[in-house]
Amino acid sequence: MANKWEVFVMDLGELAEGKELELTIRTLNDGLHKYTYQRAKVEVSSTLDKFADSLQVRLGRGQLSDRKFSIRVIERVERLPARYR
Amino acid sequence: MGKISAPRNNREFIEACVKSGDAVRIKQEVDWDNEAGAIVRRCCELGEAAPFMESIKDYPGFSYFGAPLSTYRRMAISLGMDPNSTLPQIGAEYLKRTNSEPVAPVVIDKRDAPCKENILLGADADLCKLPVPLVHDGDGGRYVGTWHAVITKHPVRGDVNWGMYRQMMWDSRTMSGAVFPFSDLGKALTEYYLPRGEGCPFATAIGLSPLAAMAACAPSPIPEPELTGMLSGEPVRLVKCETNDLEVPADAEIIIEGMILPDYKVEEGPFGEYTGYRTSPRDFRVTFRVDAITYRNNATMTISNMGVPQDEGQLLRSFSLGLELEKLLKSQGIPVTGVYMHPRSTHHMMIVGVKPTYAGIAMQIAQLAFGSKLGPWFHMVMVVDDQTDIFNWDEVYHAFCTRCNPERGIHVFKNTTGTALYPHATPHDRKYSIGSQVLFDCLWPVDWDKTNDVPTLVSFKNVYPKDIQEKVVNNWADYGFRGAKK
Ligand SMILES: Cc1cc2nc3c(=O)[nH]c(=O)nc-3n(C[C@H](O)[C@H](O)[C@H](O)COP(=O)(O)O)c2cc1C
Ligand SMILES: [Mn+2]
Repeated sequence: MANKWEVFVMDLGELAEGKELELTIRTLNDGLHKYTYQRAKVEVSSTLDKFADSLQVRLGRGQLSDRKFSIRVIERVERLPARYR
Repeated sequence: MGKISAPRNNREFIEACVKSGDAVRIKQEVDWDNEAGAIVRRCCELGEAAPFMESIKDYPGFSYFGAPLSTYRRMAISLGMDPNSTLPQIGAEYLKRTNSEPVAPVVIDKRDAPCKENILLGADADLCKLPVPLVHDGDGGRYVGTWHAVITKHPVRGDVNWGMYRQMMWDSRTMSGAVFPFSDLGKALTEYYLPRGEGCPFATAIGLSPLAAMAACAPSPIPEPELTGMLSGEPVRLVKCETNDLEVPADAEIIIEGMILPDYKVEEGPFGEYTGYRTSPRDFRVTFRVDAITYRNNATMTISNMGVPQDEGQLLRSFSLGLELEKLLKSQGIPVTGVYMHPRSTHHMMIVGVKPTYAGIAMQIAQLAFGSKLGPWFHMVMVVDDQTDIFNWDEVYHAFCTRCNPERGIHVFKNTTGTALYPHATPHDRKYSIGSQVLFDCLWPVDWDKTNDVPTLVSFKNVYPKDIQEKVVNNWADYGFRGAKK
């Protein structure tokens, strides 16, 4: 099933297409974990059917952007130092 | 001091509020995702009863209590006073109790502590098992701590701090928060833990007794457990944490234990704030790693929803900031007649009444106010004389618009301490907590001749002889007027 994601950016230029990005994204899938974050390597596209998952964008003060993207989560990035895990 | 009978915990408080009509039980299921937040927000904006939401989607067994102290009536109930008490009466009671002897807390056995009824440790301590609400649509996250206390201990002095510092859920076991650098916890972190690279043990207590919550957001120099004891007239019951040496209020609904990490930061915000805006930017802030969660059966999560007036961020903070400043000014021997902040100023303007007995008194007040621990939380001080009713905005506004000389009465203080939350501050100043402040001196200068230079206030009360005033007031209805006799 396709996943729904959301990202906060200050500027839409942060969502460059055609290359790998590292972003902090949160899940919008229904359920107990909705709105929890993870750091991930991703690729985004403004072609909505390019990737299976969708990405919604919010700006600096929480405003919903009308630009929509599709997204591929390549892998999770764990920045929490191992000693705390 | 007479016996105080204030609600001893959040449950007794809810019960008292329901009984007096100051809380409403909501039986139908409420969604934690926006709906609960929207209910609380609307209650604040309408000055409604507090919502006690007994059924939460996805979270059977949990409930919410919103807008706990966003009216003076509920503040009076929290202090064990008549809900109809006036603001000056509530203020006088706060001053009386917080000027009394500190009341030390007691530590009780874990078996007697309701907050230990359920214990989740390690990987089981998943914040998503708690009904953490999305308070405002568009917030940077679900906020665990909106009406709570973050409990820490000073590593050297050993004194305990309970502070209300907002906490966002980042993932199942991580929270991030806005702990300002001038707050008690902020100072412990920047002075001690961060430079040493040491973790700081913390415990977050949610669903506190209303007076413990009041203490956690009161800018008082008295340690909060003792302050709570003074406000409630009895010792706070504490119990030891599961995973660290801190002690937490045994009657709290939910406890989250863990460590503030010195070398790992995640994003926090944006969040709807007490100024009525989302101002502070999303940023990498203080990060809390969760090791344990303990909670009562049928735990109630408390929610404050900050935004435009009026919520407890404005009402209660205006109340305690004003009264703590009054104590400070009196401790310095300044002849103040009262201090008041209108909640609608979003606690940005201190109104100080004073007997103007010597030159520079307004400046002295402003310097003390801005230079104190309270200072970063407001940027305007307005000083009026003892003839002006500080609680009556019409009178204060009249004094301001007529007596404050643009050249002589307005003094700007630059490069002071501010917060990231000031809507009027530049993005740079917000980031570094740089502030600027202003004094509005609405006193007649002492070097003006009292008889010939100082204008006479032309009001019914001020210009007519007493006997004429009485006659007119007593005959008011007979003249044919129907309005109130004031
Ligand atoms: C609902 C609410 C939320 C608050 N959030 C924060 C916050 O995120 N960061 C902060 O530094 N102060 C916050 N405050 C203000 C502090 O609670 C207040 O300054 C308190 O006195 C801090 O205690 P301290 O003097 O022990 O640092 C908040 C107050 C309220 C009522
Ligand atoms: Mn403190």
